[in-house]
Amino acid sequence: MPKSETTLVKKREHKGLDKYETETTKDIEQRTYQLAKDIVEQIKTNRHPTFTTKVRGLSNIYFDENKKYIQLGDKKVVRPFLNLGAARKFMQTMLVNDKCNEYLKEGKTASIREIYYELKRTVANTKENTFDAQSESDEVIVDVEHAVSTIREKLGLHAESKGSLYGDITLKDLKHDNDVFNCNSLGRGGWSIMSRIEPEEVEIVDVNADFLLVIETAAMYNRLIEEKYAPKHNAILIGTGGQAARGARRLVHRLRFEYDLPVIVFTDGDPYGWYIYSVIKSGSMALAAHSKYLAVPDARYVGMTLTDVETYGLQNVTEKMKEGDIKRAKELMSYPWFQSKEWQAELKFAIDKKIRIEQQALANKSLDFVARKYLPEKIEKEIFL
Amino acid sequence: MQETEPQRKEIEAEELFTEFKEHSVADFFKKNKQMLGLSGKQRTMTTIVHELVTNSLDACEEAGILPEINVSISELGTEYYEISVIDNGPGIPEDKLASAMGKLLAGTKFHRLVQTRGQQGIGVSGIILLSQMTTGKPTKLISGTNKGKTVSIEITIDSKTNTPKVSDKHYLENKFKGLAVKCKFKDIIYKKGQTSVDEYIRRTAIANPHLTLKFQDPFGEVTIYTRTVSKLPSIPTAVKPHPRGLTVDELLTYARHTPARKVCSFLTSTFDRFGQTSIDNISALVHFDLNKDPKTLTWEEAEDLVNAIKQTKFIAPSTDNLVPIGEEHIKKSLKSIVEPEFLDVVTRKPAVYQGGYAFQIEAGIAYGGKAGRIVSVEKTIDKKQVITEEVRASEIIRYANKAPLLFDAGGCAITKTVESIDWKRYGISKFEESPITVLINLISVHIPYTSTGKSAVAEDPDIISEIKLALMEVARKVGIYIIDKKREEEKKEKKKVFAKYAPYVVEALAHTTGEKEKDLLLKNLNRMVLEKLKMEDEGIKIADDEISQEDEGVIDEDEEFKE
Repeated sequence: MPKSETTLVKKREHKGLDKYETETTKDIEQRTYQLAKDIVEQIKTNRHPTFTTKVRGLSNIYFDENKKYIQLGDKKVVRPFLNLGAARKFMQTMLVNDKCNEYLKEGKTASIREIYYELKRTVANTKENTFDAQSESDEVIVDVEHAVSTIREKLGLHAESKGSLYGDITLKDLKHDNDVFNCNSLGRGGWSIMSRIEPEEVEIVDVNADFLLVIETAAMYNRLIEEKYAPKHNAILIGTGGQAARGARRLVHRLRFEYDLPVIVFTDGDPYGWYIYSVIKSGSMALAAHSKYLAVPDARYVGMTLTDVETYGLQNVTEKMKEGDIKRAKELMSYPWFQSKEWQAELKFAIDKKIRIEQQALANKSLDFVARKYLPEKIEKEIFL
Repeated sequence: MQETEPQRKEIEAEELFTEFKEHSVADFFKKNKQMLGLSGKQRTMTTIVHELVTNSLDACEEAGILPEINVSISELGTEYYEISVIDNGPGIPEDKLASAMGKLLAGTKFHRLVQTRGQQGIGVSGIILLSQMTTGKPTKLISGTNKGKTVSIEITIDSKTNTPKVSDKHYLENKFKGLAVKCKFKDIIYKKGQTSVDEYIRRTAIANPHLTLKFQDPFGEVTIYTRTVSKLPSIPTAVKPHPRGLTVDELLTYARHTPARKVCSFLTSTFDRFGQTSIDNISALVHFDLNKDPKTLTWEEAEDLVNAIKQTKFIAPSTDNLVPIGEEHIKKSLKSIVEPEFLDVVTRKPAVYQGGYAFQIEAGIAYGGKAGRIVSVEKTIDKKQVITEEVRASEIIRYANKAPLLFDAGGCAITKTVESIDWKRYGISKFEESPITVLINLISVHIPYTSTGKSAVAEDPDIISEIKLALMEVARKVGIYIIDKKREEEKKEKKKVFAKYAPYVVEALAHTTGEKEKDLLLKNLNRMVLEKLKMEDEGIKIADDEISQEDEGVIDEDEEFKE
């Protein structure tokens, strides 16, 4: 699939929005309204006020073999108000739900820290606050997401933005005077990925590339830009800067499903890097309910692998794995989506040898080695794990 | 060579004895400070007040007067104080005043088996002597009786002859009935705390509900404990020892001092509850003739006799001589002084401990309110600011014959027994940190002290057992109260929790839905809270209000994976 330098850039066809993206703001607003309306009815008819959300514990998380990503099961949990341990959380949930409803009505968005501050106040006649820490409102937000079956982005909320986008891709910011810009011409840093990449806010206008390379470290992202890797190989680059934030994952997901863009992941060769790949590919347990918005089950993994150490003679630039790394590697071995013979072998090898290899270790050969030889060769020959 | 050393002059016995006598009284104090409660500067202060207050109390009670005693302490210099105790007692007639107060060890109580407050027994004369020994100053006495004039004298004690010396005698215009004692002391100190005069005064007031006690400390602060009972306690009488628990040694000691000529008459005349039936029973058991002279009893015979006594049943010792404070009276004074939330008191039936002495235990527990003592606790706020907070901790107030025992708490059987109680069983999870006052009054004609210091009760198994039983009886009732109270508080707390959040829930719901009937929602919600709490009271649980067990096991956010 990757093409040589001389190949004409292939303009990708827009496949239309993913079917999950068809819910309008109005739909979500209606659902937050309904949540409140149901409780009002309960109180009016002297029934104990409760709402239902999903169980988010391990007992309700499973790997969907058909869809190839982590899913949340159907186990429900009732959140009552008239329970000593639950009353405070119930109250907080009503505040968050109301605030989200208001954001959606007024077309506003807020960071999860902002909604925390917006709702934080002293409870009358007490010394306590409606929210004492952001962790409290964060937790409630998850409850509301599950109660109204949506993601926080669709509730008008967003987390801190993290990650960058670079390459021949044109976006339109519908919330900013319909700015249209190509991420090739935003300087060396590319576009800073917003934490909200919802279709009603950011439209992907045009994609000219053969594949999307998701890179773990900012340093490697910068290296590839400096080496002009993207134009030379018709690639779009996303630097996640560690574990991919929701915004970056949403963008990867949209590019894959709206433009059928193949996704290739490039991380450090260690359990942490592999877990980044795992999250992009199969979703995460914390956001099990949202895999349909975030997971890319056919994402491929290019490296680093411990086989690369042999292949490229990197033996003297490996690092020792820590105890935590080994523990994590063992966990990865047990995940259903890591059951391929190759991954099991890789993980076992890592656990046995207790070594890891960083992306930047490739600089041991030469700075441009990664862009000139490593990536083109592996991607050309489809040496994926 | 002839001996050049001069012949030492022989000293006459009379001379020797004079020197001995001269030294004895002063030495008596110096050498026996421990025993007299005069060791330690704070303890000496408390002992002085104790002796003076006890003297006043006894005088009032004997005369049938409801006592009113004023104690005041003023600081004259460094470790130099003047202590004055004024009572409303009968006073002492002018001609007897000096001899009654100024003769050392002149009491008549010393060899009687009677329940007395005086632990140290040095009396007012001892205090007068201590005063002159430390300051060289006389003690001022003012006395007023129903007849005659109010007389004021200054008195010192001639330690050589053990006789009082009177100076500055004059009459006062003011009509006064009672006795005032004013004396100065050096090398003593006034301090606050668990062993302070303040605490002595408080505890004395608690044990004597018929007493009105005023106390002015050196800073001029006045505390008044007003009597809560206007009936005088009956006066304890002297009694004979009970045969139960008698030891061989004790038996022989009594036998040597008896005027009786036969062992049988010695037994019936010396011991309580020892009648002809007892003699008949005993004579069948012993291996010698009970008609022999008790002064000729051998150790073996005495042992034989003690064994026989052990096998014989005696009526429990007469207890008319024991005068407890009484349940109602202790309750009244604790209520007035400690102002607790809950209070229970028990006066046990008299029992006998080793040695055949009758004793009786009174136990009281006051919980909440001003119960317990105040302690300062350092507390950290917001992880940086350290503040000192005053909280209430438990206290054990011990009495021997209504007299407070302030010292040697750790070595006292009362303290040990109180601490051995499993307080958790009575709803008190942390005894030391609870607002609780435990009162124990041990009454006996003979209190078994651990040492001559007479401030701690020895660990006698019979006494310990009685204290335990008494405590368990009151603790049970206190426990029920505490557990009920906790339940009630929880209920209130629950109601509060729902009540404080309900308006926010309603406000948010109304805002989301545009609902106008906010008042109705709040009213319904509050009613549901009350109904729920009421149902819980009746033990009914509502299934859908319980949080699902499956909702546990929260998963970390992915971002938290590394580091």
